[in-house]
Amino acid sequence: MRLRAEYRLGPDLRFLSNLEMMRLMERALRRSSLPYALTEGFNPHIKLSLGTVLPVGLWGMREYMDVEMAENIGEEYFKERMNEVLPEGVRINKARIIPEEAPSLMKIINSASYTFVLRSGYDWQEWQERIWQAERLPVKSRGKKKDAEKDLRAGIFKIETSLENELAFLNIWVATGDPVNVRYDELHDLLTITGIAARDIIDVYRSGNYIKEGDFFYTPLEKVI
Amino acid sequence: MKEKLFKDILPRVSKPVRYMGNEMNIIRKDWDKAKVKMAFCFPDVYEVGMSHIGGKILYGLINETTDHLLERAFAPWPDMEELMRAENIHLYTLESYRPLKDFEVVGFTMQYELAITNILNMLDLAGIPLWAEERDERYPLIVAGGPVVFNPEPYADFIDVFLIGDGEELLPEFLDEVYATRGLKKEERLLRLAKIEGVYVPAFYQVEYNPDGTLKRMYPQKPGVPEKVRKRVVKDLDKAYFPEKPVLPYMSIVHDRAVLEVMRGCQRGCRFCHAGIVYRPSRERSIVTLKKQAENQIKNTGYEEISLTSLSSLDYSGIERLARELVAQYGKKGIGISLPSLRVDAFSVDLANEIQKVRKTTLTLAPEAGSQRMRNIINKNVTEEQLLDAVEAAFQSGWNAVKLYFMIGLPYETEEDLDGIIELMEKVRDVGRKYARRAVEVRGSLSCFVPKAHTPFQWQSQASIEELETKKRYMLREKKKGIKLSFHDSQTSYLEGVFSRGNRKLSRAIYLAYQKGCKFDGWSEYFRFDLWQEAFYEAGIDPDFYTRRRPSYDEVFPWDFIDIGVTKAFLRKENEKAARGELTLDCRHDKCSGCGICPRLEVKVDIKEGREIAPKS
Repeated sequence: MRLRAEYRLGPDLRFLSNLEMMRLMERALRRSSLPYALTEGFNPHIKLSLGTVLPVGLWGMREYMDVEMAENIGEEYFKERMNEVLPEGVRINKARIIPEEAPSLMKIINSASYTFVLRSGYDWQEWQERIWQAERLPVKSRGKKKDAEKDLRAGIFKIETSLENELAFLNIWVATGDPVNVRYDELHDLLTITGIAARDIIDVYRSGNYIKEGDFFYTPLEKVI
Repeated sequence: MKEKLFKDILPRVSKPVRYMGNEMNIIRKDWDKAKVKMAFCFPDVYEVGMSHIGGKILYGLINETTDHLLERAFAPWPDMEELMRAENIHLYTLESYRPLKDFEVVGFTMQYELAITNILNMLDLAGIPLWAEERDERYPLIVAGGPVVFNPEPYADFIDVFLIGDGEELLPEFLDEVYATRGLKKEERLLRLAKIEGVYVPAFYQVEYNPDGTLKRMYPQKPGVPEKVRKRVVKDLDKAYFPEKPVLPYMSIVHDRAVLEVMRGCQRGCRFCHAGIVYRPSRERSIVTLKKQAENQIKNTGYEEISLTSLSSLDYSGIERLARELVAQYGKKGIGISLPSLRVDAFSVDLANEIQKVRKTTLTLAPEAGSQRMRNIINKNVTEEQLLDAVEAAFQSGWNAVKLYFMIGLPYETEEDLDGIIELMEKVRDVGRKYARRAVEVRGSLSCFVPKAHTPFQWQSQASIEELETKKRYMLREKKKGIKLSFHDSQTSYLEGVFSRGNRKLSRAIYLAYQKGCKFDGWSEYFRFDLWQEAFYEAGIDPDFYTRRRPSYDEVFPWDFIDIGVTKAFLRKENEKAARGELTLDCRHDKCSGCGICPRLEVKVDIKEGREIAPKS
């Protein structure tokens, strides 16, 4: 059976690479004595896959993984058992059994939201209007075509701001994967280009991963097939 | 501190996970309730230091079984060091993020001679004066242990206290006494500590030299300080503490697996081997204990591999049964069993073959010398037939690459011995061509012989850099098909040689080399031999004095006062037998060789699973 789990990776573990995250989950599964499934062959591996790569340096509010079990187990049982053995900084929020034929997380996730925690004092209304009115939002690419100019405009879907204790939480929904892939460091650059001082950015994290269909953003737990 | 680190510093360094802490199974003891606070420092980067078993043992031992506290620190990579200096961040521990200066004891483990510059750099990064005499009660006691400190003298001016021998025997007692002497003046405190067996406080010893630079005598200047410092030894390894809940790193470290120390020590008696003498006698753990340790480690870590480690695990009397039972228990869960080093015989290869289910890549064996004559000289009791049997077994069962370890620059070495290495490799290749299914690759890794203190070869001369380079050119003069040779750096080996038989006069040169920027000397990208040469010159030291001489049997060595249990008379007899090419057999299978360890330290070679089971090679 296949299980999909949503987890939180806390700020203390923000410097883990994707490979390190994989290993963390594999080792947690082994400690859990859950009936995880193994690949065939000489060098058996746990059948585990993570969603889109969380960049080193960011923590994640809602990240996803799929794991295969050799026996049927309950969703709650999986969550509880894993939370007993995971390091303090990682928590499973929710788990759900998914059909065998469900496409992989990598295939379906096409959007992510990043939250920038900022010192307030900016006119966020005005800033948002400027973003939406801009025809182009060029930044230097941080991805494959390093330093080439990249227009983020088509990849920015939605912006929400909220204020809390003198801090502003700027939540930006962007496109991931093809055709436009907006990286968090490019968003960071966009912020500084558009008048926000880098020293006012206190924290950045990924708040979610989504399957965008039209104007709707579904989480990978909501939209399985 | 932690906030600044996570926000301003770590995002700017390569591999921030090294400096992050927060690992699974980390032990954060209550600072105010702990008696002595000790920082355990490994003078290399995190991924090297975290692979070290001794550190894992002491970490668990002190934190789990005593009222003291032990936290970890590692050498920062130069990019991190630069940031720390620029931002004024003192070297801190990964548990509490406190600076080393806050600790009462700062301990370094010395696994490698050239780690000394990293130790100095770490002290400097901690804001602690480097010279022992410049540190008063306001600073932590700086202690050092590990295999290198069986000759502590080159480092004596930097270190307050050396701990000699098995740490699990000595460290708890040492920390208890540190606690009991709290508030005393440093000298009074050291005087109390020096009375503990295995503790060496260099400041209390007077050293006199002969006109030729050799040691005349060395003696304690204070009453109650022992003339000889005897190493501490765990008598029953089966009952000794071993960590069952080791810290689990997030980053991939050098040895990233559960570890079972199946035995400590080795009785084979290779005459060049330091560990084989200083860790005598060999003591085993029982299968029952090891299986319990495996079970708990896996439960607490989720590791995918269990390594059966020791100086020579195939000599463990229960190796076959242990390996089979572990495979039966863990194989189906996808957890592999591995043997880090193989003995040169078919039994070893067959066993490895049976238990290692992973794809077969390179088989590594260490015949050490190419000719039987030379193997007899060094007492490496392996025949060509055994080696060829081993590689035949390997090639037949799917391996297609063999790596062989050899040494060059050994005593009495001639061109024929070097030819022997090439010829042996060719024979291995030919066996491969006959039995392997694919093209075979035979690689030779050639290290340079370094005479070590406390070994039979402590009376031998080390080959010069020029001689080593000549030997290297000689061996490379003809290219052989299917054979590749790689050589260890002769300059690094030379420097290791200076320290392995060094004395106190070296501290000045070490200090100067450090001042000139030497650090990470074990890493080729940072090793600066030219700076070391300048340092020796400025300190007025001829490094050849330590490496090139062949000392007489009358010479008093700077390390003679460290009593390792094995007698100097035995070492001398072994060195004389080497000259005659005579073998001394392993006392586990043959008669007692009279090394002295058992009667003198009231210990015994401890075989747990029966002599009959142990397959003789």
